[in-house]
Amino acid sequence: MDFIYSIYRLLSDKIYFAFIKEDRYMYLVDGWIISIQVTVFAALLGIAIGLLLAVVKFSRKSPFAQIADWYISIIRGTPVVVQLTIIYYVILADVNLPRTIVASIAFGINSGAYVAEIIRSGIQAVDKGQTEAGRSLGLSEGKTMRYIIIPQAIKNILPALGNEFIVLLKETSVSGYIALNDLTKGGTLIRSVTYDAFTPLLTVAYIYFLMTAMLSAALSKFERRLRSSD
Amino acid sequence: MIKVIDLHKYFGDLEVLKGINTEIKKGEVVCVIGPSGSGKSTFLRCLNLLEIPTKGEILINGVSLTDNMKNLDELRKNVGMVFQQFNLFPHMKVIDNITLAPIKVLKMNKEEAVSRAMELLGKVGLTDKANVYPSKLSGGQKQRVAIARAMAMNPDIMLFDEPTSALDPEMVGEVLEVIKALAYEGMTMVIVTHEMGFAREVSDRILFMDEGIIYEEGKPSEIFNNPQRPRTKEFLSKVL
Repeated sequence: MDFIYSIYRLLSDKIYFAFIKEDRYMYLVDGWIISIQVTVFAALLGIAIGLLLAVVKFSRKSPFAQIADWYISIIRGTPVVVQLTIIYYVILADVNLPRTIVASIAFGINSGAYVAEIIRSGIQAVDKGQTEAGRSLGLSEGKTMRYIIIPQAIKNILPALGNEFIVLLKETSVSGYIALNDLTKGGTLIRSVTYDAFTPLLTVAYIYFLMTAMLSAALSKFERRLRSSD
Repeated sequence: MIKVIDLHKYFGDLEVLKGINTEIKKGEVVCVIGPSGSGKSTFLRCLNLLEIPTKGEILINGVSLTDNMKNLDELRKNVGMVFQQFNLFPHMKVIDNITLAPIKVLKMNKEEAVSRAMELLGKVGLTDKANVYPSKLSGGQKQRVAIARAMAMNPDIMLFDEPTSALDPEMVGEVLEVIKALAYEGMTMVIVTHEMGFAREVSDRILFMDEGIIYEEGKPSEIFNNPQRPRTKEFLSKVL
C-alpha cells in the first residue's frame, strides 16, 4: 500500500510541476492550437497544390508536366525538416511572415507532392475500359473524366488522402526547427524549465496518439460508408 | 456505310493488321471470326478509333475518320460499341448508365432520355432493373444493359467485341437473342465472335481473319459449308 501511495505521490508531484505550477500546461495548449492551425492550413494548401500538379501531369501536352514531375521528385526525395528550414532561412528569409504561416506554406508544399501522387494513382486505378466505354458513347475526354472517371477515383483517393493528413499532423512536430512553439516544442519547453523529461514528453506523445487515433477511427468509418454504396 | 481501305496497325514493331480492305453496307450484319491473335478485336476497335490506325483510311458515310481526328466525338456518336467486359459504370444506376450520354452528348432532356431508356430496357427485358446498380446484375444482364446503353445514342452502326466471351455458358443465349433481335430490325452491325452457330444464323457475311488480314470472306453458307482456303478449313474443323 505504501508503495502504491508513494508512486501516486511521485506522479502527482511530477504532474503538478510539469503542468499546474505557473500554468505550464498553457505551453501544451498554445502549442496544440498552433499544431492544429499548421496542419489544417497545410492540408488545404496541399490539396490545392496536389490538384494542380495532378491536372498538369495528366494533360501530357502541357510543357508544365515536366515541371510537375521535377517538383514531385524533389519534394519526395528530400526530408521535410530540410525543406522547412530552407523555406524559412533561405527562401523567405527576408520576408517578414509569422512563423505559423511559414510552416503552413512549407508543409503545404511538401504535402502537395504526396497529394498529387495520391490523386494520380487513384485515377489510374480506374479500369481503362471505363474510359473506352465513355469515349465510345461520344463523351469527350473532359466529360469522361468528370462523369465517369473522377467519381470512381474519389473512392480510391479519399481514404489515402485521410492517411496523408494523419502523416501531416505528425510531421508538423518538426516545426520547432524554425522556433515555432508547436505542441512538441511546448513539451520541450516544459522539460527545459522543470528538468523533468518523462512527464511532458510522454504527455505530448499521448496527445498526438489521441488525435491520430480519432482521425483514423473517423476515416475508417467514412471508408465503410464509401464502400457500402458499391 | 463503312469503307476500310488498306488498314494497317502496329503495336510497337508488331504488325497486327496488315492491310484490311472491306466495305460494310447499311443494314448488313457482318461477323468476324478467326483464331485468337488474328487481329479481329483490333480491327473492330479501329472502326471507332479506340485504336488509332497506323496507316490506311476508314470512311463512315463517306467521311474519313482518320482525317477528322478533331471531330472524333462527333463520329463516335454514330458508332455504338459493346465490350467483352461490359464496362458498365459501376457508380451509376442502370438507368443513369443509359441516359448519361444522351443527356450529356445529345443534349436530350431528362424525361425524354429516361423514357427512351425505359423503352430500350423493355427491349432487352430488364425494365425491373432500372434502379439497381450494375454490381447487382448477372453477367448476361450487364451485357444486355450495355447493349441498351449503346443503342440509346441511336447509332447508325453497332460494334460488338466478343460480347459473350466473358459470360457463363447459361447466359450466352439471352445476350445473343438480344443481338439477333437488333439484326432483324435492320441495324448495321459488326460482331467479333466465337459463337459459330450464332454467326451462321445471324450474319449476312462472314469475315475470316488470320494473321492480320481478311483471309477469306463470304456468305455464312459458303464459309461454313464450303470453305475454299486451307487455314479457313483448318480453323473451322477445330471449332465446329
